[in-house]
Amino acid sequence: MTSLELRQIQKNYGTYHALRGIDLSVEQGEFIVTVGPSGCGKSTLLKIIAGLETVSTGEILINNRDVTTTEPGERGIAMVFQSYALYPHMTVAENMGFGLRMAHRPKAEIDAAVLRAAKILRITDQLDKRPKQLSGGQRQRVAIGRAITRSPDVFLFDEPLSNLDAALRTQMRVELSDLHARLGATMVYVTHDQTEAMTMASRIVVLNRGSVEQVGAPLELYRNPANLFVAGFLGAPRMNFFEVTVAAVSGGAATLSTAGLSPLAVELTEAASVQVGDRVTMGIRPESISLAAEGTASFAGRVRLVEHLGRETILYADAGPLQCVSSESGSGNVTVQIGHASAVSADATVGLKVEPRDVYLFSSVDERTISARKPTITD
Amino acid sequence: MTKLWRRHRWWLTPTLLILPAAVLFSVVILASAVESLWISLHEWDGFSPMVWIGLGNYRELFADPQFYVSLKNNLIWLVMFMLAPPLGLAIALLVSQKIRGMRLLKSLFFIPLVLASVAVGVVFTWVYTPEFGLLALIFRTFGATAPAVLSDENFVTFAVVIAALWPQIAFCMVLYLAGLNNLSEDLIGAGRVDGARGWNMLRHIVLPQLTQVTFIAIAVTVVGALRSFDMVSVMTSGGPFGSSEVLAYQMFEQSIFSYRFGYGAAIASVLFVIMAVFIAWYLTRMIRADERGG
Repeated sequence: MTSLELRQIQKNYGTYHALRGIDLSVEQGEFIVTVGPSGCGKSTLLKIIAGLETVSTGEILINNRDVTTTEPGERGIAMVFQSYALYPHMTVAENMGFGLRMAHRPKAEIDAAVLRAAKILRITDQLDKRPKQLSGGQRQRVAIGRAITRSPDVFLFDEPLSNLDAALRTQMRVELSDLHARLGATMVYVTHDQTEAMTMASRIVVLNRGSVEQVGAPLELYRNPANLFVAGFLGAPRMNFFEVTVAAVSGGAATLSTAGLSPLAVELTEAASVQVGDRVTMGIRPESISLAAEGTASFAGRVRLVEHLGRETILYADAGPLQCVSSESGSGNVTVQIGHASAVSADATVGLKVEPRDVYLFSSVDERTISARKPTITD
Repeated sequence: MTKLWRRHRWWLTPTLLILPAAVLFSVVILASAVESLWISLHEWDGFSPMVWIGLGNYRELFADPQFYVSLKNNLIWLVMFMLAPPLGLAIALLVSQKIRGMRLLKSLFFIPLVLASVAVGVVFTWVYTPEFGLLALIFRTFGATAPAVLSDENFVTFAVVIAALWPQIAFCMVLYLAGLNNLSEDLIGAGRVDGARGWNMLRHIVLPQLTQVTFIAIAVTVVGALRSFDMVSVMTSGGPFGSSEVLAYQMFEQSIFSYRFGYGAAIASVLFVIMAVFIAWYLTRMIRADERGG
């Protein structure tokens, strides 16, 4: 059953187009994470679903009811704000029960709903306190509890974890996933943090400059990004991008050549129209690059910086003539992620190897992915 | 020298910055208040030597029927002035709506603030003028005759207070406009999601965020009501027969016109005590409310 449907949502502020025709259909019980860089329109989209912003054109349906012009309080939604937005003059219990109180529910019912939500979030001993007596994590729990008390059709989260410290954020992430599993409710979650997106979402919506770039399951987006933006946005450390030239096209594969790179034959999609001499963007994830002996290496690199993280080692290597146009380090260096502790030290010259099946190609015309789909690893 | 300065700068800097204000406050406010108390214990015409009479001035004051008239009028001022904060809030809410032409309306409401209160008093005296005044014109359109409010001892204080309310309401409006600009957008959003609208939104979401502003608005309004002087002076000079006198005006009248500085100082001291008691009570209440949550 469709829980939330957006049809051609557009939002213009004067001549500025914040949202350019968003279509999205969310099934009952899905956890949708909308992710994108700042200014991509993700918060605006959430406010539009909540009814705190109006649409310029388009329709919003919640449980198949058109709520495009309905007041926020009557849409069957609850929202958790980045700033928590707890009412400072009310106790925790009053905060959580306020929505039901505004709906003129009997006091016994409100108390029961507040207690039930408080139990789920383990804040029953905080009910008589006021927000300013609570820590950041506790306030966040109250804000979530306030949403649960309303038992909405759709939960909306606006970067709820961004004000918490790193340890607490990880903990709340797990708790939110757990909460979603327990309540089985539809949730729309906005964040700029791709880790939150990858770990919590049933489906990720990647938003950029007011348009949806791609929608899909986290691993699907990670393995098969539709375009250069999605490929670069998901994954940490970021994918390495290089400008390369197509040297030959045969049997549905393009052979790439550029100074410093051994020829690589990368399989293309059927739709790709690539000709010899075309410039394309090559993308390689840091974890797809491994150390290799001199003879088998795809390219050589001089190690500029090593980060020993214990379980893995990150190298930033200068690949000489093979200039990286965009990577984690932001400079021309290639990021290499080795899945074990490595003895490689700075200033060493190492052979680096990449398998052709791990290489992504993007059209330099429209930035769409033109390399063949990568199979999802199953074992 | 520099080492000495560096070591002590943590307390020297704030002290030096506070010092000018502290000196000014001590000389102009504290010392004058104490001296005023001292004078109130004397018989003094301002020229001849002061004669110690102890509490004589106070004894006379509490037996003076004019003192009770002034006190009653101050009470009327106080009660009626309490209309200023809610009316100021109402107007602030109205003019902060995003409607075309609201900007012009807003600037109209600002007008009394740029007028000297003496000018406001004079303008309202014209309004109240029998036969030619605006009030008289309004009454005439309904076929009635306007009372001469400024020469009627039953109406006069109310008429003066209404004139004084005009700038006071505008002042409260400005305070509330600033407060409304600082409302948390997220809290309003949370309230809307929770289904709070209209009166509920105002009562449960907006007003609690305006407690600080309300505190200032009420405090300033009360002090304004108690020290009211200029309007009375301009519009009625306390008349007719002292029926519109307030404590501040009576003090002025006794000191300046009757050359009874000791007696005037006694009135000032009583007014000071009334204000101090009120402010102390109000402050402790506000601080306690603030500690409860806030």
